Amino acid sequence: MNIPMHRFKYTKLTKKQIAIALKVTENGPKCASEFSDVLKGKSLKIVTQDGPVLEYAFKDKSKLTLSENGGKKIKAGYGALTLDQIVFFSHMIVEDQRGYNVYIDQDTNLVTVIEVGLSTKRQEPPPIGGTDPIVVDDREVQRQIYFGYIEMKGEAPPEELHHLTNRIEGKGMYWKQDTGHEILEYYASVANTNFVDLTRQADDLSYVSPSDYVLVNDNTFIHQKTECEFSGIFTSFVADLFTCTQVGVRLGFNEKDELEYYMFRGNGEVVGQIAYLEPFSEHGRNGMVIQAPGDPEVPGKWQRMTYRPAMTFKYMSDEEVHEAAVKSTTAFGGRIDAPQMGGNNNMPFSDILVGKKFTLRYDKGGPVRHYEIIDKYNLKYMEEGEGKWHEETYRCYEADEKLAWFAHILTDSKPRASAMVALDLTNGLTTCIHSHMGTKYYGNETTYYALFGVAEMEGVKAPWYVRHEFTDELVGHAYSWTYSDQMTSMHIYASPHSMSWTIFTEDQTMGAQWCSPCIYVKLRDGIYIFCQNEEACNGAEMCELINTKISHNCGFNFSGNDKGVNLGLTGAIARHIGQYDIRKYFGPKIRKGV
Amino acid sequence: MNLAKSNTETIRKQTDKGRRSFMWKVGAGMSAVLAAAVPAVAKPVFGGDKKSKMSVNDLSKQVAILESEKSIRNLHKAYENSLDKGMYSEVLDMFTHDAEVIFNGGLFKGNRGVERLFRGHFSTGQTGRRIDQAPGFEPDSEQHRERLEISPDGRTARARFTYSIQVGEPIDSDSVLVKMARLQGEGVRKWWEGGMYELSYVKDAGEGTWKIKRLEYRTLARADYKPGRSYAKPISVNSFSKVYPQNPAGPDRLISQA
Repeated sequence: MNIPMHRFKYTKLTKKQIAIALKVTENGPKCASEFSDVLKGKSLKIVTQDGPVLEYAFKDKSKLTLSENGGKKIKAGYGALTLDQIVFFSHMIVEDQRGYNVYIDQDTNLVTVIEVGLSTKRQEPPPIGGTDPIVVDDREVQRQIYFGYIEMKGEAPPEELHHLTNRIEGKGMYWKQDTGHEILEYYASVANTNFVDLTRQADDLSYVSPSDYVLVNDNTFIHQKTECEFSGIFTSFVADLFTCTQVGVRLGFNEKDELEYYMFRGNGEVVGQIAYLEPFSEHGRNGMVIQAPGDPEVPGKWQRMTYRPAMTFKYMSDEEVHEAAVKSTTAFGGRIDAPQMGGNNNMPFSDILVGKKFTLRYDKGGPVRHYEIIDKYNLKYMEEGEGKWHEETYRCYEADEKLAWFAHILTDSKPRASAMVALDLTNGLTTCIHSHMGTKYYGNETTYYALFGVAEMEGVKAPWYVRHEFTDELVGHAYSWTYSDQMTSMHIYASPHSMSWTIFTEDQTMGAQWCSPCIYVKLRDGIYIFCQNEEACNGAEMCELINTKISHNCGFNFSGNDKGVNLGLTGAIARHIGQYDIRKYFGPKIRKGV
Repeated sequence: MNLAKSNTETIRKQTDKGRRSFMWKVGAGMSAVLAAAVPAVAKPVFGGDKKSKMSVNDLSKQVAILESEKSIRNLHKAYENSLDKGMYSEVLDMFTHDAEVIFNGGLFKGNRGVERLFRGHFSTGQTGRRIDQAPGFEPDSEQHRERLEISPDGRTARARFTYSIQVGEPIDSDSVLVKMARLQGEGVRKWWEGGMYELSYVKDAGEGTWKIKRLEYRTLARADYKPGRSYAKPISVNSFSKVYPQNPAGPDRLISQA
């Protein structure tokens, strides 16, 4: 589709609508590849740890009967696929809106069972500042993972079962499935997947979904992701990293509210491995779970850590935001020594522009602004033809040798706007990130765009044709950005138009993750402007100048809410965490049926 | 570190003041009592003469004191273990209904105040987890001296124990990063604090159990330290500035810190 997933309004399907749609799953999943008959005529008793005992009898390669915990026999259609020694089968229990996805390792008789459920009414704790628990949509597929084994007469239960793992953390994969579907997945968190649907989405934006990673053996892992906050679709597969092959299943309702329940085979490649930073003795066996208040089970069934920014983002109209802006528009905390959130590791302010007078001309009818820099914190500017100077406070960094990077509010602008300006004093090239409050979706979201141009100033002769330009040079790279000793976020520059960020846990395991569209502008070799807006999240813009030579960034935040509009400062020190080799997957391409 | 020294002096003065009316049992001193008690049991104390009867009385008192000491130490251990595991609600029953707790310039009074401190303030800051002393902030032996005294009537007690804990406060921000960090139980500014607990206990006449009547966190040093780091530097932390209900997890009264 060509509507970004975070902008799409998914229907709140009812339990009844879901029940009707699930009826077809009685016959089992579809598959473009041939189903396996490896289970035909077999009976299995699967014993799980802290979960059900499942007794299966497979009549043929599409029909089974199941008894849960010795209960009544349930008939269901199923499908099975094999991958090396792994047999994977999937079926639903229609009347319960539940199902099982079962991975059996025939070499060890160990089993991973992923139970799925719809219309679960699962509750999550209230968002920060809220009082009511979040109740997840009925269409969102919930999952519960059980580790177990096939009971063999006369054999003792195995001592070691499959388990959650961080061994996949940091790996990136490209997959092409037998449906023709292509996807890039970055497994950069133990609890999430950052992915780019190369064939389903028109914009090559990356998204984030809560995930689980299960270790089967050194080259085999089981993956699961659920597109919470979006369609709620569940996808799971087992992958062999020796051969880069997978078999899996997809279950849920797409943007057209059509039920997708199919199994697939896929081939792929490892596109890279970024570092993970937890202690070497930490193997990631514990999942990240948020317990709902009052949940009698610990951890409660279906519970997982799910970041829900879209569900909890409060809408404000353009007028409401501007009203707040008139009451309070603040730049840099309102005073020279104001503490700045996320600014402990910022770069120092520079006086590189003090005393200078210059004019910045932006191309294609863009603004022409005349500047006089009064001192380190104050400037005057005038729009061409305006005939009136505006005095504003500003902050400037020397982000690279003789490269000024400064920002200020545009006086009395409606909607409230700011200019963030990179000015290269060696060649006269300039880029302005023009930002203003409001998008067509939210008044409290920021809109930004890049303007390219040149400076007229003493001692500088700007080129006629050369300009700063958009770039994909950062795409695939990952950096940790440490804003202060209390706050570090890892950015993956996930596609030419989007990025993700991941928060570290206390032991530096990568945990909560989210994503946004972004732009990248190249100023010099190794020097970039990176600008993103946390769309459908909190609407705040972060615009940083990244200097990869010194592994540092510095920049500005621009945001607005019921408290007013704020232009703030940000800056962090970096570690290069690694790189995915993914640029070849992007760019304009022939598309069919997106 | 000057703060540490002045606090130590304060502690010494208080110790001298209370010495007359209380029997101090300090570290090696407790071993000495045990050593004295064991041979006494081996003597024929039930022989019936007056001298022996007095010995029995003395011994009974000694045993009662030892039992009280053991109970109080167990109570303190349970208190620290609960905080270490983040089980803040579990400590509430360890206090008397009219207990007082002094922490970071705030006095928390009674059941409600104590609950506010532990379930409100401590839990959101993940305060109380035991961590090692910050490097460079190790106290001298005088600072580390622990004391426990039982009143002659066996109904009240006073104690001083050391602590070395993580203290924290939630980062106050609308930032997405902070919200996400909170989601995984973090988003808290944390530091290390070391010092002494000053405690008063009473024995519940009905239940026969000891409870905390007054607890004061007497902080000797603070540092921006987390376990695993090789360095630490001192930090200053703002005391409570608002009382309840202006601060929903705040104290009943602000007090000046020594």
